[in-house]
Amino acid sequence: MATKCMHVFDRLMFSVTCWKKSSTQTGRRKFHRDVEKEEFQYASTQCLSSYYSVFVVRLAIMVMLAILIGLLTILTWHFTKIYTTKSLNSLAYDLRYELLQRPILRMWNILNSTAEITTAQVKLSEYVIRSHNKLATQEDHVEMYEAMRAVTWALFSSRKALNSITVKYGNGFVQAFHRDLKDNNTFYIYTDLAYNETSEALNDKEIHNNKTVIWYREQLDPVSGEKIGKAMKIAPEDSISIAGMSQVPDGVASWHVSVSKFTDSPLLSAALPVWDSSNKSIVAVVGVTTALYSVEQLMKELVDKHSGHMYLTSQKGYLLATSTNDPLLTNSTKKPKLKMAVDCDNEVIREGAMWLQKTYGNNFPPSHEVHVENARLGHQQYYIDSFFLNLKKLPLVGVIILPRKHIMGQADQRAFKTLVILISASLCIIVIGCVCILILTNGVSKEMNLRAELISHLEARRKAEASSNYKSQFLANMSHELRTPMAAVIGLLDILLSDDCLTNEQYATVTQIRKCSTTLLRLLNNILDLSKVESGKLVLEDAEFDLGKELEGLVDMFSVQCINHNVEIILDLSDDMPKIVRGDSDRVVQIFANLINNSIKFTLSGHIILRGWCENPNSYGDNESFTMEQKKLVCSQKTITKQHENTAKKTSNNDKKMILWFEVDDTGCGIDPSKWDSVFESFEQADLSTTRLHGGTGLGLCIVRSLVNKMGGEIKIVKKEGPGTLMRLYLRLTAPVDATEQHCQVDFANNNLVVLLALHGNMSRLITSKWLNKNGVVTMEASEWNGLTQVLKELFHAKTPTHNNDFDAHYSAHRDIWKEQINFLHKYYARAKFIWLQNHDSSNNVKTELRKKGHILTVNKPLYKAKMIHILEDVIKERNIEVQKKNTITPRTTVKESDLHESFEIDYNHCDVASSDGSDISEIGSSNPSSLYLKSNCLLGLTNEYMEQNSSRKEASVSKREKGEDSECSRVNGSTKAVNGKKSLEGLRILLAEDTVVIQRVATIMLEKMGAVVVAVGDGQQAVDALNGTLGVEDCRKESLLKERNKETSQTEILSFPAYDLILMDCQMPKMDGYEATKEIRKSEVGSGFHIPIVALTAHAMSCDEAKCLEVGMDAYLTKPIDFKLMESTILSLTKEKA
Amino acid sequence: MEVGQMQRQWMGYMKSLFMEGFLDGQFLQLQQLQDENNPEFVVEVVSLFFEDSERILKDLSFAVDQQSVDFKKIDAHVHQFKGSSASIGAQRVKNACIAFRNFCEEQNIDACRSCLQQVKQEYIHVKNKLETLLRLEQQIVAAGGSIPMMEWN
Repeated sequence: MATKCMHVFDRLMFSVTCWKKSSTQTGRRKFHRDVEKEEFQYASTQCLSSYYSVFVVRLAIMVMLAILIGLLTILTWHFTKIYTTKSLNSLAYDLRYELLQRPILRMWNILNSTAEITTAQVKLSEYVIRSHNKLATQEDHVEMYEAMRAVTWALFSSRKALNSITVKYGNGFVQAFHRDLKDNNTFYIYTDLAYNETSEALNDKEIHNNKTVIWYREQLDPVSGEKIGKAMKIAPEDSISIAGMSQVPDGVASWHVSVSKFTDSPLLSAALPVWDSSNKSIVAVVGVTTALYSVEQLMKELVDKHSGHMYLTSQKGYLLATSTNDPLLTNSTKKPKLKMAVDCDNEVIREGAMWLQKTYGNNFPPSHEVHVENARLGHQQYYIDSFFLNLKKLPLVGVIILPRKHIMGQADQRAFKTLVILISASLCIIVIGCVCILILTNGVSKEMNLRAELISHLEARRKAEASSNYKSQFLANMSHELRTPMAAVIGLLDILLSDDCLTNEQYATVTQIRKCSTTLLRLLNNILDLSKVESGKLVLEDAEFDLGKELEGLVDMFSVQCINHNVEIILDLSDDMPKIVRGDSDRVVQIFANLINNSIKFTLSGHIILRGWCENPNSYGDNESFTMEQKKLVCSQKTITKQHENTAKKTSNNDKKMILWFEVDDTGCGIDPSKWDSVFESFEQADLSTTRLHGGTGLGLCIVRSLVNKMGGEIKIVKKEGPGTLMRLYLRLTAPVDATEQHCQVDFANNNLVVLLALHGNMSRLITSKWLNKNGVVTMEASEWNGLTQVLKELFHAKTPTHNNDFDAHYSAHRDIWKEQINFLHKYYARAKFIWLQNHDSSNNVKTELRKKGHILTVNKPLYKAKMIHILEDVIKERNIEVQKKNTITPRTTVKESDLHESFEIDYNHCDVASSDGSDISEIGSSNPSSLYLKSNCLLGLTNEYMEQNSSRKEASVSKREKGEDSECSRVNGSTKAVNGKKSLEGLRILLAEDTVVIQRVATIMLEKMGAVVVAVGDGQQAVDALNGTLGVEDCRKESLLKERNKETSQTEILSFPAYDLILMDCQMPKMDGYEATKEIRKSEVGSGFHIPIVALTAHAMSCDEAKCLEVGMDAYLTKPIDFKLMESTILSLTKEKA
Repeated sequence: MEVGQMQRQWMGYMKSLFMEGFLDGQFLQLQQLQDENNPEFVVEVVSLFFEDSERILKDLSFAVDQQSVDFKKIDAHVHQFKGSSASIGAQRVKNACIAFRNFCEEQNIDACRSCLQQVKQEYIHVKNKLETLLRLEQQIVAAGGSIPMMEWN
């Protein structure tokens, strides 16, 4: 059974695995399509190994389950069966015992009754014989015989079960009564009396062999005993067996089983001797026979009830009684004989007897008791039990054969059914269990596969991250290494450019190379920055800096580029912006530099506005939903009201972190909304085709976003009306409590100023006028020359000339026109202050002309708030002075003209360092190459319109000028640097702080070559000392300069004139370094209104040094070794503005 | 004849100095700065450089041999030396100084010592070369010639 189960189980497992294999194969096939081959192989091996392990686990679990359930089944079945069988067996034993006991008891009864009757007959016979002890005559004998007959009949008739009673006398006479059970007749049998006397011997043989003995038989009425028939002679063989002397040889009762031809069943006969009165001799023998018929009857009844078979045998194996109807005697023609049990006609009895004989032979156990439960007879199983009945002289054996089916049939059937049910149930459970295990472990194996895959993916990701990290590090290292040779390349190119022996073509090529190199260097710097941010090495500084100033510087820087591109750049900071904030100024500047740079790249015309405002910590929330205009209004109102309020309140607000909002708004090509997020990714550009057009790598915005995020802000592109892009970002910066100064110290509203803005750029004019209006200054606008003249005429012809007005004019002059324009404006010189807004490339002629006319107030483009404030303050101050001077009647104009002649000697050749700049001009020639911002009590303005009208003429002249400048440039590089016969830095006093004597000497000579007066000091402390003495006498500086010009300047003399126009400051010096010194100087300047330009000299080539320089208050930055031209242009750009 | 030969020799020498990288464009700038007002400018600057360098090298040797090396101080010295050498265009000295500074940042004393030797070596080289050059110039001037303009190509 178990092996069968195992077989089935194995088959099941096999089919399951087959199915699984096929399913995984199909799965793999799918997998195959998607994944690369290598990966697939990797996955499949992984899968295979895990698959085997899972398979083994599954098998083990299944086997365990099978064993468990099998054991359970067997145990259940076993206990059920064993107990049932046991109880049934004991019951069956009892039954069998009982069944067998009853016939044996009956037998015993029969034996007993036979013995009793025999004894009774003997006692009666003795009595009768004793009473006739004197038998002398025949008649006496007859009388005694008659008495005997009567007694015997009485006994015989009282016992119906008796077969016969015989009395044989010593003289050979026999008296017998016999019942024929077949035909139910009763007979009296006796011998011939006459013969008796002759044969005295009681020998049986003699009697039987004596032929003379004659037997008589009389039929009797079975009830009364009367004679019915006549006495008939019968043959001796027909006679019944008569117990003779031979059966009682020792005078003791004897038993034996006999047969007679009158009955089918064996007879039980007993014999007893009858003693004479003296007990010395036997006078007669009494025999009684009883049929065993009743025992047989009982057996049949029992068997009918219980089925099975029974039989009784003598010890020798002769059948005495059976439960069947089969004859017990052999039906031979001779005398009937007893059958052996093994010869019985009944099959079962015969086989049972044979089985017993075969099993035990003659060696029965001592008690002769046998209990066999599983004897197989024929095709059935039987119980065989035998009992031994040990009667005196007649031992009996009873055997009962019961078919097992009769007793255990039901139980066996049940047991079989139970077994079948149990096995099928357990098989079901095993199958279900296996299926469950398959399903469950399927999940587990899937999970294992997934986990393995996940682990491999994680591994791959980790590798990828590591490689990306390596990449960043590699880039950082590489770019650092690359920068050094790049710097050398650029330096060498500069040297090459400064050579005047190059042909024009070569010059152009080298310039191009230099440009490319600069771009490459910038790119390298970008990569360095980015990798720094990515690798998390970037640490933001936390230092105070002037945000407004930084941004103004930035706008100034980009203005050159913007003007060349004919794009307006406008700085629009709201008044509530804190002046001083804490943060990393360098990085803030970098953010805006990148953004503006980006905007310039994509803006071909229009304007770029950098807006900034401060978010009030109280009004968080949906600020973004405000439109710009609303916001500006709110901000401005707030500022105005706050100006009149106590400033202390504001300081408490600024104590915390503040959120500064900025916007960079341009009118460029714009960015597709779908790319608004992706442009901030590295190497991502909105339109890939623009790379060709505008260049760039797409790193800029990525760096910006990284930096903004690092400063706790966010940047995103906002939808704007009209073309272009609007980037909005906010930064979280802290504003120190003490740094909250009031921005507009002067209340312009009370000064009764009128400003005429004659600016070509619409946007900047709009914003400036708005701001002026806000601050209570009456503003008028003019965008072109005609408008300007009209406004001027209206103002000055309609109104009284004494009216105090203040005007700004945007002057864009050219060639022949500009002179006339200046002359026109000059008419108003007395009545208005002119502030000339000039571009970086304004032509010298214009400037000279202006200076000649006494228009000394010039401002470089672009115009922004701080400059405006400065201008207004100056105007107000000057006006006050004028009012005073009017009393003393001093001819103001003359003084100014003469000194300004010197101070505005500016050489702009640095603008043409690259020849392409010149060509730019010729291309964009229609724009305003020169403009002056003019301010006076009168109003004058020149506009671009004229230039446009005269564009053809102007272009020609431009190209002419370009050539001239080229030659000038080359001459500059030689030993003579003077343009128009003048040295570029003529009249400037420069303080040089440098500890290295070599550099000091070189720089001194360089500066002196340019015409400047140089005072050299050895360290920062000396520089501060040298300067401190000067501030007080700043006012008389112009006069002293005048004087000085007339002298032959020598170094020693210069030392006695402690007024300086500019300081060149080495950063690394003993005692006090450049940074410290600058801080010191700036500190001492606070409140005085002066601002000495300080140019840093440093050998550090890192951008962070530059930032540091600017942070401490330096204005520009030069690297060592000093580049002649760069120094010159830097100094010029700083000094001319101041002047 | 004599002067012309010397001038040619001078030119050749200058060229070799540039080719071998002893000098760079800065030296040319120095020469351009020299004019009637400062006829001895180059000589003056170069001798200033020599004085300065001797001092710095002495200080450096001292600082390097110190028990506890003050790298900041060394760095400052080297920085100064770099500045001055760059200013006269002594390119190889400058490059050696840059390497020196890198090791200074790493605080690698052994490398610093070897670098110092290298810097000294370069300095002596350039000093010899410059002295030869200046002597040649003096001879030219003494012979009544003028120093030709060097062309960098």
